[in-house]
Amino acid sequence: MTAISESAAFKTGETYTPEGKYQFRNSPEGVRRLPFPFPDDDYMYSMNLEPHVPAGNGALRAAFDIDEHYVSECTHRAQMLSDMPGVHYLALPHMLEAQWDLLELIFESYARDFPEHFTLTKNGNEWRWQNRLLGIDDSFTFGDPATLPMDPMEYATRQAQGEFVVLEEKDNTLVIGAGMTTQRADYSLKFNLGMSFFEFHGPVPKLHEMGILDRALKFLLRMKPGHPVRRVNWSLTVNPRLETSVETLPEWAPDRATVNGENAGEKVYLRIELQPLHRLPRSNAIVFPVRTYLVSLAELVEYAPDWAKRIHRALASLDPELVDYKGFHRYHAAAVEWLSRHDDGAPLATGYPWAPEGIQPGGN
Amino acid sequence: MLITGIKSRPVYDELTPMASGLIHLAAGQGSGGKALVRLLRAMTPEQLAATTVLYSTESFTGQNYLIDLQQFKVRDLAVFPTNADAVSGLDAYLATAKMGTRLYLTGSEGFIGTSMQVATSYGMNRDEVLREHAGSFVRRVWCAHCGHYSENVTHRIFVCPGCELNLIVRDHYSGRLAAFQGVKADSEVPGEMPENEELDT
Repeated sequence: MTAISESAAFKTGETYTPEGKYQFRNSPEGVRRLPFPFPDDDYMYSMNLEPHVPAGNGALRAAFDIDEHYVSECTHRAQMLSDMPGVHYLALPHMLEAQWDLLELIFESYARDFPEHFTLTKNGNEWRWQNRLLGIDDSFTFGDPATLPMDPMEYATRQAQGEFVVLEEKDNTLVIGAGMTTQRADYSLKFNLGMSFFEFHGPVPKLHEMGILDRALKFLLRMKPGHPVRRVNWSLTVNPRLETSVETLPEWAPDRATVNGENAGEKVYLRIELQPLHRLPRSNAIVFPVRTYLVSLAELVEYAPDWAKRIHRALASLDPELVDYKGFHRYHAAAVEWLSRHDDGAPLATGYPWAPEGIQPGGN
Repeated sequence: MLITGIKSRPVYDELTPMASGLIHLAAGQGSGGKALVRLLRAMTPEQLAATTVLYSTESFTGQNYLIDLQQFKVRDLAVFPTNADAVSGLDAYLATAKMGTRLYLTGSEGFIGTSMQVATSYGMNRDEVLREHAGSFVRRVWCAHCGHYSENVTHRIFVCPGCELNLIVRDHYSGRLAAFQGVKADSEVPGEMPENEELDT
């Protein structure tokens, strides 16, 4: 570890598991930089894809955001991979070119956007990668897997925040070819690997009927390298638990029955997903990253009171089918009730926080 | 978590001779024999002479079309006592197959699914394969918790032989695993079971 990783900016001892007693919390600045996903008091799906260009000084400044939880999250990923081998990271054999594409994209982005922490030095195909936050200084030959200790995608994403699903273009659709998904929200990578765009969206209600999937797929198939797009999505999770896969459902689903109107503020976490999609240049694959942020309802009330009011209204008016799909029907009422005590009904701005005139965290 | 109404179940075709094929390979099981008979009747004598039929007499519903299949002048008819044997036979055949081979699959969802796994492993494209479902819609189910595969599942809730958890079968299908997904039925409150029902078999 270098001196930087021990500074106050990056927490090193956080945990996302019951065994680790969920030692996780956000700083006030950490909350106020979040890509808050509710532009309106009413929430419904939409395509909400926009060009992924830098916006503001928060989570949308960089191509791939890192924050105060970076070191802890990388530690958690390593732990999950060693606890359940073959479950959280999988890649079909023909995805190697896309793996190198992804390694390049992540390392170039990190080095460009956070030069104080990461340096990528290229001499032809001989690359040197320095990650000062994790104390890594490796040299390897780009394109030669024998020069890395593991798959290029695994190597790169073990040093990245968020999960990464790589989609290959085949028969006019997008098929899941590889994934690093130690923070899955309620699905199985092993089960979904090889599925097409419509198949892996199968469990999401309303999308098909609303025509959103057709339009989204057409849009994505037209994506070009160098022109990434992003969208945000969200869910709720009980406790700051990142790994909520289908495989471990019996371990975490019982937590849903522990929430009540008193403890909802501490127990219920908004799970924000920032998804910056990129077309990869050599393989023509598309990477679908899911950068997950956890913030408790109580943290929102304390550090971002206007966002707390907004989420109260969005949850209170949420379509019951979505409540069921997102898996919080059992504690939805408790969360709404708890939040209602912190909503004075004042009008709120419309639009994402990074848009001009969009909703700001409030307070302070 | 959505259990029913998930749109990932395969959409099946109807078996008809593919004119682009130079060699035809037709694999069926149980009730699928009926679709094989229909397919062979629609073929020209030249197509029949270039056709190999693989047929498994294992059947969940007791249907056997072997005698009907023996009436056709095909290049070869191979008969297998079990579906697993027929899938192995398909694997052995595809190992020596040439360009221009067209594959026809028919039978239970589990048979078609496991045969597709083999076809995919040889790089066959979807436009080189036709699949027709026949007989019962009994399901092959993958346990998300222990990885066990259960064949011929007929009810929404069953006990996993691998880990002994009560599983609920989601209408979510993985072509790669050739199986539906089973997850713990009483995961939120142990003992609080959703209502069981017969699957649309």
